[in-house]
Amino acid sequence: MDKRLEKALRRVQKPGRYTGGEWNAVYKDWPNTGVKMVFAFPDVYEVGMSHLGLQIIYHAVNSREDALLERVFAPWADMEKQMRETGLPLFSLESRRPVRDFDILGFTLQYELSFTNILNMLDLAGIPVRRDDRATGVYPLVVAGGPCAFNPEPLADFIDVFIIGEGEDAVNDLLDACLESQRGGENREQFLLRLAKIGGFYVPSLYRVEYNDRVNLEKVEPAVAEAPAVVNKRVVTNLGEAAFPTRPLVPVIEAVHNRAMLEVQRGCTRGCRFCQAGVIYRPVREKEPQTLVRQAEEIIHNTGWNEISLSSLSTSDYSRIKPLVSELTGSQTAAGVNISLPSLRVDAFSVDLAKEVQKVRRSSLTFAPEAGTQRLRDVINKGVTEDNLLEAVSAAFAGGWQAVKLYFMIGLPTETDADLEGIADLARRVLERGRRLSRSPGRIKVTVSVSSFVPKSHTPFQWEPQDNMDELKRKQAFLKQRVRGRGLVFNYHDPEGSFLEAVFSRGDRRLATVLEAAWRAGSRFDGWSEFFNFERWMTAFEATGIEPAGYAHRRFEYDEILPWDHIGAGMNKKYLVREHRRALDGEITPDCRAGKCPGCGLCPTLEIKPSLAGGETVAPLHDSLQ
Amino acid sequence: MHRYMIRYSKKDPARYTAHLDLIRELERSMRRAKLPVAFSEGFNPHPRMSIAAPLPVGTEGLAELAEVEMTREVEPVQMVESLNAVLPPGLKVLEVAAISSATPALMAALERADYIVRLDGEDLPAPLPNAAIQEFMTRDCVEIRRRGKDGKEKIRDIRPGIVKVEVLPAEDGLCLRMELKTGSVMNVRPAEAITALFEHAGIKVDPADLQITRTGLFLAG
Ligand code: SF4
Repeated sequence: MDKRLEKALRRVQKPGRYTGGEWNAVYKDWPNTGVKMVFAFPDVYEVGMSHLGLQIIYHAVNSREDALLERVFAPWADMEKQMRETGLPLFSLESRRPVRDFDILGFTLQYELSFTNILNMLDLAGIPVRRDDRATGVYPLVVAGGPCAFNPEPLADFIDVFIIGEGEDAVNDLLDACLESQRGGENREQFLLRLAKIGGFYVPSLYRVEYNDRVNLEKVEPAVAEAPAVVNKRVVTNLGEAAFPTRPLVPVIEAVHNRAMLEVQRGCTRGCRFCQAGVIYRPVREKEPQTLVRQAEEIIHNTGWNEISLSSLSTSDYSRIKPLVSELTGSQTAAGVNISLPSLRVDAFSVDLAKEVQKVRRSSLTFAPEAGTQRLRDVINKGVTEDNLLEAVSAAFAGGWQAVKLYFMIGLPTETDADLEGIADLARRVLERGRRLSRSPGRIKVTVSVSSFVPKSHTPFQWEPQDNMDELKRKQAFLKQRVRGRGLVFNYHDPEGSFLEAVFSRGDRRLATVLEAAWRAGSRFDGWSEFFNFERWMTAFEATGIEPAGYAHRRFEYDEILPWDHIGAGMNKKYLVREHRRALDGEITPDCRAGKCPGCGLCPTLEIKPSLAGGETVAPLHDSLQ
Repeated sequence: MHRYMIRYSKKDPARYTAHLDLIRELERSMRRAKLPVAFSEGFNPHPRMSIAAPLPVGTEGLAELAEVEMTREVEPVQMVESLNAVLPPGLKVLEVAAISSATPALMAALERADYIVRLDGEDLPAPLPNAAIQEFMTRDCVEIRRRGKDGKEKIRDIRPGIVKVEVLPAEDGLCLRMELKTGSVMNVRPAEAITALFEHAGIKVDPADLQITRTGLFLAG
């Protein structure tokens, strides 16, 4: 193995992607460790190493005496070529052992366009990609978790077990179960039955899926008593006490984000109707500021990073953000450590925070109004007004920033050309405001980035079709015409990738054949424009007789069985219907952080409550919709 | 300001760390070690630290050189200890010495580098005859093509930069020791010299099979 590896490393562009050796990497005694797990990130090293979830799970497992967790990332094309030519199997970074030697292989599912990499990694590891083909032979248990596990069905034929929801406690249950199963000398089938009984564990082989015609599902039901009818997500009750990595791995090659990450809270209560993260990380759980200050010190001390990012879905919503930022700028900035706030709300308050942490106005500030008119912002429940935006950018320009980025989504339900005009108008108004307030008006730059709406499971928009690609292209061209001229920059992505995302985000088990066909034909790294080949995908759809538009462009009915109905994110389906109807009526639903629970049903279902710093909470409504 | 020269080794897995990543790694290590590194002025302050003759990715270095400035005096022995406690696997400080502010930059004073180059038997199509090496060394001109910073190819004579080439005993394949000029005046890369040598001997080897170790860097004077 070593000789082949060395030879390969001398032939690839960035060998550091495969060598490990990071500061804070954990090397354990292989023969004396009970259960061995490898965490597989189905993208390249630089992307995977920027991911907080990896650091959390790495820490959670390696803090145990009886378990070890190593890492593996998707080999880049040059490395794959070397591996296939020399027969070098996929190996872990720490011990450089074949992935096949581990007890558990755990993939994280961050985006749909990484799915082909999962198949490729299994194949490079010498593991049959389909779980049925693994029935005979000794292979690691193939596990997957992360946001895309909320609709696991397109991967159901490839994965043995999905973990739904938050991983830090669930991974411990997995390791305990594995140890017990080993002690009891269980076979794979017995092991899977054991796992199916653990909350949040979905074992796809234990479910019967029937279709009534080419389009709809007839039923999905457990085939054995051990498997629950609905697998509800896992949530960590006390985030402050949960495992948090204050000795994170420090990437050896420049990662996408090369800085310390401090999670200040989990969950977002704003209830944007397109947003899946807002659902799957519900309810909101804040950490105490004292905990955060202590963790910040430890991370900086243990890594030597000079930047710390306060991460969460909407950092300025953290109730103690002001005192936290003051405290950190006092202690850390003095020591030469920069603080960054990656996700800011659209208002002047957030700009003030950014001012406090950024003494030098290097980069631009980013805001996400998401839609161009108040009407459409009400439809999506984005609680942002034009005044909020103008106040925010005014504060930014007056504060010395010369560039702002505005993020919008196109193809949202009920959108008309007037909403697109609204995007262009807003951009122009922001530019004018900047020119008026800035000392160097000629240098003001407003970048408008538009992404295409992708309907996601467990959201009020899960039933909504995606615009077809011609329509998305027309809308992009429409905007391109209007967002132009000095000081304005317009960015967008080709809609083909978003189309595939929509297919897989609302797909069912029948997509397995397409995924496999596309991968066999050479699809990898579909999220990378230099690799993405849409024609190859369309050929795969044709060859397998699957009509992708039926997943992406069809309006799903309220009463039909959705592929992910047996996966519970906590919110009541009737609440989602109500939210969807309110959306179409342009009615907004208030934030539950403000103390008024609109009754999404999540807290009673999962037996949890929102928790704010200082021990405050919101009193969740008992489910009025059942 | 207080200047220090650091002699360090860069072995597996750190040998695969590229130059800019190494700079960042050393910067973080100095911070972990709480050393009073001096920073440049300006909007984007960077540590006053430089690496003499950066190694190509994958080449091992047994005694590399770097220099760094501190805002206050640090005991060299203590610097060795505190850095070694926080360096990632593969990097190790061997020695630290205070240098006077009058000494020119290390990079400018660099003159020669010694290398060991190994080739496995399976990667060597034919044995390299000793006579071929001697013949090669008697040539007064060895022209190679090198791509400059502007992307254009230039022909250069590297013969004056090849000081010595000798064969060391090897169990399998080939082991060569080379002394090459390095620095701003004359700089020869080991892979260039070896490729020219094999070309001269009429043997085809894949440069990617060369296992290269830099054993030392030497300053003028
Ligand atoms: S049940 Fe109420 S308090 Fe709990 S997350 Fe839903 S809306 Fe918020």
